[in-house]
This record gives sequence, C-alpha cells and structure tokens, in this order.
Amino acid sequence: MKTNHTRIWTAIGWMLLAALPGRAQAAPATPPAPAPPPAPTMLPPVAPSRPGGTAETLVEFHDDLGRLVRLPAAPQRIVSLAPSLTETVFALDLGDRLAGVSDFCDYPPEALTRPRVGGPINPNLEQIVSLHPDVVLATRAMNRRESVEALERLGIPVYATDARTVDDVIASTRRLGRVLGAQARGESLAADMEQRLSGLARRLAGRPARRVFFVVWLDPIISTGPHTFLADALRRAGAKSVVTAPQDWPQISIEEVLRQNPDYLVFSGAHPDDPQSSINSLQRRPGWSSLQAVRENHFAVVSDALDRPAPRMLDAIEDLARQLHPDAFPTAPAPNPDPSRRAPGNRRGGRL
Amino acid sequence: MRALTPRKLLLTCAALAGVLLLLVFFSLKFGTRSISLPDLASLLYHTALGQTDRVSSDFRLIVLEIRWPRILLAIIVGASLSVAGASFQALLRNPLADPYVLGVSSGAALGSILSLIWFAELPGATPFGAFAGAVAATAAVYFLGRRGGELDSYALLLGGIITASFLSALIMFLMTTISGRELRGMAFWLMGDLSTPSPVAPGWLFLVLVAGVGAIYTTAADLNLLLGGEQEAMHLGVDVVRVKLVVYLSASVLTGLAVSVSGAIGYVGLMVPHLVRLLFGSDYRLLIPATALGGAIAVVLADTLARTLFAPTELPVGAMTALVGAPVFIYLLRRRMA
Repeated sequence: MKTNHTRIWTAIGWMLLAALPGRAQAAPATPPAPAPPPAPTMLPPVAPSRPGGTAETLVEFHDDLGRLVRLPAAPQRIVSLAPSLTETVFALDLGDRLAGVSDFCDYPPEALTRPRVGGPINPNLEQIVSLHPDVVLATRAMNRRESVEALERLGIPVYATDARTVDDVIASTRRLGRVLGAQARGESLAADMEQRLSGLARRLAGRPARRVFFVVWLDPIISTGPHTFLADALRRAGAKSVVTAPQDWPQISIEEVLRQNPDYLVFSGAHPDDPQSSINSLQRRPGWSSLQAVRENHFAVVSDALDRPAPRMLDAIEDLARQLHPDAFPTAPAPNPDPSRRAPGNRRGGRL
Repeated sequence: MRALTPRKLLLTCAALAGVLLLLVFFSLKFGTRSISLPDLASLLYHTALGQTDRVSSDFRLIVLEIRWPRILLAIIVGASLSVAGASFQALLRNPLADPYVLGVSSGAALGSILSLIWFAELPGATPFGAFAGAVAATAAVYFLGRRGGELDSYALLLGGIITASFLSALIMFLMTTISGRELRGMAFWLMGDLSTPSPVAPGWLFLVLVAGVGAIYTTAADLNLLLGGEQEAMHLGVDVVRVKLVVYLSASVLTGLAVSVSGAIGYVGLMVPHLVRLLFGSDYRLLIPATALGGAIAVVLADTLARTLFAPTELPVGAMTALVGAPVFIYLLRRRMA
C-alpha cells in the first residue's frame, strides 16, 4: 500500500518536473557584478550620429555605478524609477519622452499624468515592458539591485545614478544630459547650479554655520547622519547638523537634542504647511518646550526637494540659506512669490 | 477516519492538480496588461511547438519571461511552506506550529543581512545568505532540541522560539547600528516577495522541493501513528528517532528553500495544512501531497491577486496570504464546528 502511494506521488512529481520548459533548467543568466572603476568615468558615444538617433544607432556609456550601458542615442522612451530622476528628466526638457514614472514621482505636477510603474522598491516589470522603454533610469539610493538585474535580463537597458553629494548631483545631471541626448541642456543646467552654489558660498563666506537639528520624524525622533545627501545639502545652505551618529537615519533621544542645543530646527515637507502641526505640538512637549530653538521660534521649513538629488535642490538650499542667514540677503527679495512658505518664526530673523 | 484508498488519493490529487493548472492558466492571463484568451492560447500553442517567431515579442516577454517564472516560484514556495507546516505540526504535535516557529526565518533574515553587509557586491547575495542562515538556525535549534541523545518535541519547540527571538534581537541591533543602503530593500523583501526573480534556475529549486517532500512522504504512515503519541508509536514499531530526524531536516530544508527565494511569506504553512485536513481528513499519506498542491494553489492565487488588485502597484504577497487566508480559514473552521 505504502509503496503504491510513493509511486503515485513520484509519478506526479516527475510529471510536474517534465512540464518545466527547457530554459528553466538552464544556468541562470545572472550578469556578473561589474567592479566599479576607481572614478566613475564615461565613454564618449561610440556613434554620435545626429539628430534623433534611431533604434540602430546604439551608444555606450558607463553609468554612475561603472556598469556599461548600451542604449539608443537620444532615447525616445524613458522610464524613471525615482522622483529625483523624474525631476531631472523634466529639468532637461525631456518630460515628453517620459513613458513611465514611479508611484512616488510627484514633481513637477505633469509627472502625475505619466503611466505609473509601481514603487521604487517594487517596480512592476510587466508594466515597464509594456511601455517599451529605450532606457530605464534607476538610482542606487532608492532602487534595488535585483530590479536592475531583472530588467537587464529582459533586455531593457538600465542607467543607474548614484549621487551622494550636491556636487555629485551636478556631475550626474551633466552625464544624464549626454546619455539622454540633451547634452547642451545638461551642461547649462549644471553650469547654472554651479553658479548659484558659488554665489551662495560667497554670500555665506565668513559666517559661522548655523547648528541645526533636521527633523526627519518626530515620533520617534529620527534625524540625518553626516554621510547623507541631505547632510551635504544642509552644509551648502550654511547649516551644520548637530547629529554625530554615524548611521544615515539615526534615532536620537530628546536628551541628546537638549545637550546639543541646536540654533534651529529644520523641517521639510512636500507642502510648506505639512510640518506645521508638528511644530505647533513642540511647545507642549516635555523636553522640546525647554529647547532654546523652540522658545525662540527658530524653525526653518523647506521643501522636500532639499532631500532630492535633482536640480530643484538648489531652490530648497537657497531657501534654507535665506531662512538661516537672513542678514546675508539684505536687498534680495524673496524668490518665492508665496509668502506663506515661511514658517512663523523666520521673519524674526537670526540671532547675530 | 475512513480508510484511504489509492483511488481516493489519486482522485484528490488529480482534482487539486486540475485546479492548480486552471489557476496557472488564469494567472498567466491576468496582470497589469491583460491578455485575451485567444492570444494567450495561441502564444502557448506556438511556444509549445517552438515557433517563437510567430509570437508577439511583447506577450512572449510578459507571459513567459515575467509571469511564468514567478508562477513557478509561487508553486515551489507554496508547496514547500505548506508541507513544512504540516510536518512541523505532526513533529511537534502542536496545531499552531508553522515553518517559522523553529527560528528558520529569523536565521534566514540574519543570513541575508550579513551577506548584504559582507558580500553586497555579489549577485544573489540575499538568497544564498538566507539559505545559509536558515541551515545554521536549523542546526542550532537541533542541538538545543536534543534531550538524552534524541529530539524532544518540547525542547525543540522551546529552543526554536528562543532562537527566533534571539536572532530577531540581533537583526534589530544590526538594522539600527549599520546604515547600508541595501537594508531598506531587504526589509521589503523579508515581508514576503515573489517579484524578485530567483538567481537559481527554478528547475534546481524544484528538485530540492521534490526531494524534501519525497523524504517526508516516506514517513507519512509513521507520522499518522506519531500523532497518537511517541510512546504509542514506538510500541507499534515506528522508529521514532529516525522519523523525527528525517522530518525535521527535510521540513527545515523546505523552509530554507522557500525563505531564500521569497522572504518570509506568512500563514501559508499554518493555514494550508489545516484547510486540507478540514477538507480531506488528516491521513498524512493523503495530507502531504494534497498539502503540497494546496499550498501551490494558495500562493499562486495570493500572488496573482497581489500583483493585479492595485496594478501597477504590487502588494506584498505575504499580506495577501493573510488577508485572503484568515477569513477562509475561519469560515471552514466554524462550518466544521457547527
């Protein structure tokens, strides 16, 4: 009896096994991980034919991770897997070529009209394939290597960026302009960012950096460590995070915040009113209410572009610099037409 | 309990296999991009004949390169987890036992985190690390669970729970002190995810599955007796020590297999064996093959729902198994009691 059952079960097993297509038995087509070169370099295009490259003219680039990517010159259909990349593509005036964006891509508003391809961590491969992209843009900070590998196995070129500092963003934008066939626009964007940054650096020269505490989250208290893109953006705005924890998004105790006694608390939000309820609640919270920055209403509220490695970061960096160092901008009118952008405390200015 | 006839076994398995085949067909059809039945039929027909040039490359890519491997993965994971669950329930004589109760998934999680810290640049670091972690946790719990030279059900259960909580604490420690960019994606993966293709060909996974399930099946008759108590089984001539060892090792390998390719998909290993018991009785000679097929059905169904309900956004399949499984389970349980 028992052997009968065993035999039946074995037969079922082999039947299922035989139903596998031949290719399933083949060795996995995992591409070997390319060793990143010491400095991410980019090859000149192999066949720089103009204009509006056809599917036949393929060009090769090394992306920020040192991977060799082969894609059509001036790709016409682009899928972006991260908000910063979507913003960059629009900034390069290539928004019309965006065939798909991730669920998190909310800027510019036009991005909301593009087909969605799922979250940055779990993009929907079927949807991406159906959109017939010439290239998929990914970024190391938000996307997973597994997604990139899966797309490559499906024969879709993936260009990955890895901007960890403000300077990286400028270089990355310049390269992306070349990769996407908008070299001139990329150059002018990058040059503009460089110019604004050096202008900002001149204004802030000689002024001590404000010691700030950037509030990523309030319950529990999460801030940013010294190695994030955000920390570098803060530095460019004339601020220095008081957080010394080596982690990227450390949980900090209120004791430590009180001990560091920051000059300003910095909040960010997609909309300037988003952090208001948090700010209002601080006056009533034990510990926070005795913090000097809270008592003196030293809050700075900036757009969440501050934490997006894309050209719009410059607006947020300048905005934060104005709030933290108002006396460095004596004559300039506020660049933002909407006065409600300012948190209540900011008009009182700094404490020089 | 009615006697199990080969006829009943064959009919039940054939019926379940039929349901699975039907489900696979519809799972191939539905997705972000729906494919009409004639298109799908012609695609499968031409592919079966090797006439790939007569197939739209889009459909070929979506159906054969994206959906089919994922369905295979769902079948393998569902069958592994369910058979492992049924085995642990018999081994520990505890209806609440599931494949994760003995710390296997915590071991897998720790293994994948460590491999991401140490070998982040290697492709497939996560699944291999997960499998190594599952094997290591299994070995540790095995030694904790031995009393007087043989596996003791209670010592095993307690050892497993303690190991699981200890490893979870280690994971929390690593996740808060180490800031790797990849850890965020890993947290997602651990919730149970079938969207990431396995770096190992499904054929190999299938071989492990068949070997594991086959090994457990050889002890099916003994497991029936073991449920009545170890002493009683021993008096009836069951080699209890050997049975427990075979079942423990095979079920752990099956769990490690599932976790390494899909993260920790919950509830399947707990619910599918119970559902199958309610529907077909608790004879392990039928329960094991029926559970394997039932688990495959459950996970293929859950994954199809997970990727179509809110398309193009995908739900974690682990959330889907619990959302769908719990109400069905409660309904069957209450109907049974009424």
